[in-house]
Amino acid sequence: MRIRTASVSTAAALALLVTGCASEDPADTAAPAPQASGGGGGSGEDCVIEEPVPVGAALSLTGAAASYGQSQQKGLEVALDDLAEKEGVTYELAIEDDATDPKQGIAVFEQFISREPVSIILGPTLSNAAKTTDPIAQEEGVPVLGISNTAAGITEIGDYIFRNSLPETAVIPQTIAKAKESLGLEKVVVMYSNDDAFTESGFTAFEAALEEEGLETVETLTFSKADTDFRALLTEAKAAQPDALVVSGLIEAAIPLVTQARELGIEVPIIGGNGFNSPQLMADAGAAAEGVIVGAAWNSASESEENAAFLEAFEAKHDGKPDQFAAQAYTGMMLVDAAVRAGCSAERDAIQASLGSLQDIPTPLGTFSFDNREPQHPAVVQIVEGGTFTVLD
Amino acid sequence: MLGDYTATLTLIALTAIFAYSFYAVLMAGQLSLGQAGLASLAGFSATVVMPDSPVVGLSPLVVGIPVGMLVGACVAFLLGLPVMRLRGVFLAIATLGFAEMVRIVLINAEWTGGAQGTSVPKLVTPGIAWGCLLLVAYWFWRLGGSRFGRGLAAIREDELAARAMGVHISRYRMAAFVTSGAIAGMYGVLLAYFSRFITPDDFGFAAAVDGLVTAVVGGSLLFLGPLLGSGFLTSVPEIQRALGVEAGWIRPFLSGLLLLVVILFLPGGLSSLIPRWRTPRLDPSIPAPELPALPPPGTSVLSLKGLGKAYGGLHAVRSVDLELGSGEILGLIGPNGAGKTTLVNLISGLSVPTSGTGTVLGIPLGPEGQGHRFARAGVSRTFQHSKLFDRLTVLENALVGAHVVTRPTLLRRLLWLPSARRDEQRALAQAGAQLARVGLADRAGVNAGALSYGDRRRLEIARALAAHPTLLILDEPAAGMNHVEAQELSTLIRTLAEDGITVLLIEHNVRMVLETCTRIVVLNFGGVIAAGDPATIAKDPVVIEAYLGSDGPADSRV
Amino acid sequence: MQQVLNGIFAGSIYALFAIGFTLVFGVLDRLNLAHAAVFTTSAYVGIELVADLGLSIWLAIPAVLVMGAVLGLVIERVAFRPLKGRHDAHFAGLISSIAVGGMFLALLQARYGPDTRRFPADAFPSTDFELGGVRITLLQLVILGVSLGLMLGLAYLVNRTRLGRGMRAVAENPHAAAVLGVNVDRVTATTFAISSALGAVAGVLLAFYVNSAQMTMGFNIELKGLAVIIVGGMGSLKGAMIGGIALGLAEVFAVQYVGSSWRDVVAFGLLFGILLLRPQGLFGARQVREV
Repeated sequence: MRIRTASVSTAAALALLVTGCASEDPADTAAPAPQASGGGGGSGEDCVIEEPVPVGAALSLTGAAASYGQSQQKGLEVALDDLAEKEGVTYELAIEDDATDPKQGIAVFEQFISREPVSIILGPTLSNAAKTTDPIAQEEGVPVLGISNTAAGITEIGDYIFRNSLPETAVIPQTIAKAKESLGLEKVVVMYSNDDAFTESGFTAFEAALEEEGLETVETLTFSKADTDFRALLTEAKAAQPDALVVSGLIEAAIPLVTQARELGIEVPIIGGNGFNSPQLMADAGAAAEGVIVGAAWNSASESEENAAFLEAFEAKHDGKPDQFAAQAYTGMMLVDAAVRAGCSAERDAIQASLGSLQDIPTPLGTFSFDNREPQHPAVVQIVEGGTFTVLD
Repeated sequence: MLGDYTATLTLIALTAIFAYSFYAVLMAGQLSLGQAGLASLAGFSATVVMPDSPVVGLSPLVVGIPVGMLVGACVAFLLGLPVMRLRGVFLAIATLGFAEMVRIVLINAEWTGGAQGTSVPKLVTPGIAWGCLLLVAYWFWRLGGSRFGRGLAAIREDELAARAMGVHISRYRMAAFVTSGAIAGMYGVLLAYFSRFITPDDFGFAAAVDGLVTAVVGGSLLFLGPLLGSGFLTSVPEIQRALGVEAGWIRPFLSGLLLLVVILFLPGGLSSLIPRWRTPRLDPSIPAPELPALPPPGTSVLSLKGLGKAYGGLHAVRSVDLELGSGEILGLIGPNGAGKTTLVNLISGLSVPTSGTGTVLGIPLGPEGQGHRFARAGVSRTFQHSKLFDRLTVLENALVGAHVVTRPTLLRRLLWLPSARRDEQRALAQAGAQLARVGLADRAGVNAGALSYGDRRRLEIARALAAHPTLLILDEPAAGMNHVEAQELSTLIRTLAEDGITVLLIEHNVRMVLETCTRIVVLNFGGVIAAGDPATIAKDPVVIEAYLGSDGPADSRV
Repeated sequence: MQQVLNGIFAGSIYALFAIGFTLVFGVLDRLNLAHAAVFTTSAYVGIELVADLGLSIWLAIPAVLVMGAVLGLVIERVAFRPLKGRHDAHFAGLISSIAVGGMFLALLQARYGPDTRRFPADAFPSTDFELGGVRITLLQLVILGVSLGLMLGLAYLVNRTRLGRGMRAVAENPHAAAVLGVNVDRVTATTFAISSALGAVAGVLLAFYVNSAQMTMGFNIELKGLAVIIVGGMGSLKGAMIGGIALGLAEVFAVQYVGSSWRDVVAFGLLFGILLLRPQGLFGARQVREV
């Protein structure tokens, strides 16, 4: 699917489906292989680039991770709408599906690198896919901006690999510290899904943070990312009589886990990581979600100008609240725009250079800088109160 | 142009290799879903043992791939020891359970990196992937026409008949399973060192289902099947992308639809589109091989003492004593349910007696699964309800029959040794001669499933004769034949006896038995009620009362 | 004690799912891998009925049952009927049902999107009882009651009715059944309909029980369902029922005594052990094939 910034709307996207073939004619794409797109005149806000800048997004739109991928797609679409209002540079965004299969991810990256060259690749959705696809881009000198990869070892792949998603290690220590301080915790039960790279690294971060803060872990329980019935585990957890449950899991697990815990009469606070940071938590768990503490990379309640604008635009376009995946995807596209304008070039190497030197960019995630291709921006510890996230002081 | 698709091309090769690991067992009619677990173990083992630097100037994969294959084969062997006695869906689910256990153990293990997986360098180039694929495909190509390959096909078509033809079922199935493990191991290593990353989750249930789908879509009757299946399934998403089909639900929907269409409209998979261009020809100039002489007339062939078989409380055969000498034509008659077929199954080693003893051609009747030993010793049989290998040709059926008098050819075929070709030609001559004997030579290239009823009965006999039997057991060969055909059959049987073959004939057509046999044994309620030459039996009042009387006077007064 | 109940509730859903699975296998000797897709579909549809149309769960369950039956007829018609009499029907049926299952899931994503769907937080009254330190919700009792009721109903159907006799005759020998005047095609289609209806109810019950439906829920239960029908004995309804509850209990005790990381190893280890010791399963009859 191809979306031009000039003509994005649901109807237009459908129309483009029909004309999709035509628009992929080589003459129509920005530049010949292997290097994408030329430079332009001016710089920063005055930058003008004639041709649309080709950007590729490799997302998981079907398969197990489809709900994240589609959230990211929505975030990117909102970003394109916003960027279309700015003068000088237009974007041509190709969104491709890796079907949550790293092998298809490789094929998609190959397409973005050589057959339909793009200036920069966003994604892929899952860290495990990134570990197989990002080295290909690194070898070919194509910059990649991960918008949801949080596992260790992603940016170590090479100097073309960036991410704007804070890893769990940046979020969890302050979550535990804040929670201990305000709730006076002493002993906790830790639960995590051990067959998922994201939640397992969250667990490692929790483990370190708990030790750092001198909290006692009375029991560690694991589950599978596919589980939805946690009653057996929660009965175990309840028997240990902890002061809090610490959970590293995805939102799919978070909601049944929270509701079932309350149902079994576990009234202690539940502490989660990035995986819990979704409006679905309050929408679907209802009263059970009250008191859940979530350390996250994105403060959905932030009243910054950028965040307010993002929330408004997203709700206007998509009829629903964004989650962290959408916010990070939106921010990713904004960072790409900032980098393109900074160097006023759609060349891959130019984008790689300017992306790395981005400093203090205002985004919905907060003031954003890259440090050695890793994201730098404030994390937030939230608590659910009265059906919304509020910042835990 | 092709250079733009290197990843896709490599993936086609890898997926095909994985599909071959399913093909390896499918061609023997087995369904295993454990290959993903084997691939996973092999891949992770390779990450441990592979050196970082080239070995004598070659890619470290020269260590990794053999180690992976060895791990896959060894684990398959160990897994096979308990599970190989399972059949069909049971085998599939047991192996699936094994693969799930492997996945969970590896996720919980430290050395694999658990869910975080292990990163490895990229070493697999398209050349290496296709090189490995060609080796695997070559193996299966040469396997196809070998004695081993025919044995596997026979097991797939009818396991019991294959055992009666002397195919060592458990060994063959195990060999297929171990081959499958080795190939799965190769796949595990290649996938890891192609995608640079390996996690236990890459080898779950979904991976196993993908492999099975690829193999079945390609077809399990021709060695090119897995390659076709992989080419088809790997390029479907690629083509959808190229055609601009919108990313999202429509793609899996179309893939499912396409899969359904292929499976419904192409029985035998994609490989059935490829015409069978070569059926082995019969070369009349090559004489049938010299086979060891049959024992001289009067030698003891069969000796049973107090033999019995009980199913639960039901005694199908009780306390039977029987002696049979070389060159005899012994008729075994009795009413329905008298225990004739049970007795024959005991003699041919397909079932195990519960009491008494017996030897057949020097082999004691013994434990289960030993049927092939009797075939090897010279027992050959036909079945009451014909059990032909329906999707093999008439000639191939007879070739399986010749299993025990031919030598294994697979290894020599892999090396193109001329002696393998000579052996194959001899086997063809032996099989062809038997087809000619029963008058089926002109139908050699037809699938057995397409034969008429009478021809099927004749092919059963030809297949049994191809084994160069000392003792030939015919279980109701004349059933459904008209009078003329039965006459011809009777003549054929007497000719066989003149050639020195001992014949045990079970038949309802009493007139034919009386005409053909030199001696007759009558069974009723599992026991012998009379024995003697045809003239005596025809007059025996006990027999007439128990059996002949009920069969109508016309037959009994011959 | 709480754990035993947890095991029984989860197990009764496994059992209901597995009974549908094993019914088709027992009668028709085919494994229908689209069964899990029906399970998932009904969970989504059930949520839509309750959450968007405001139906009570008492109406949603029968509605989903009917929908499941219709899907069963579709599966039989599209994936199995065309293979009748084909030599490779066994393997081909596996693949064609996988294909149809994949298409169902794709359509599901088209209609509902890929997100996890849930009931609104107040969809059912959260009545619960506390008995000697054990908490049971009304919903759990409903789940157990519906599962047991359907299983007993099926047992009655198979053992006491004309249709049941037809099914048993087909299971014994389709050719002979046809000779005896059983309409094999109709019995086959009905078997699929009943099987899928049970799978559908299992799906919506699980959605109630864990308050969520996701695209991947079918995969998990499919593996468990296979384990259950092996443990219980292929084609044995009683076996699937007891096997399902046994698996639920085994999982719970694995969590308690072995460690939650090894829970699934225990479940599959059990499966493996039973296959080796008693290949026909706990309640399966060994089939004696005559030559």
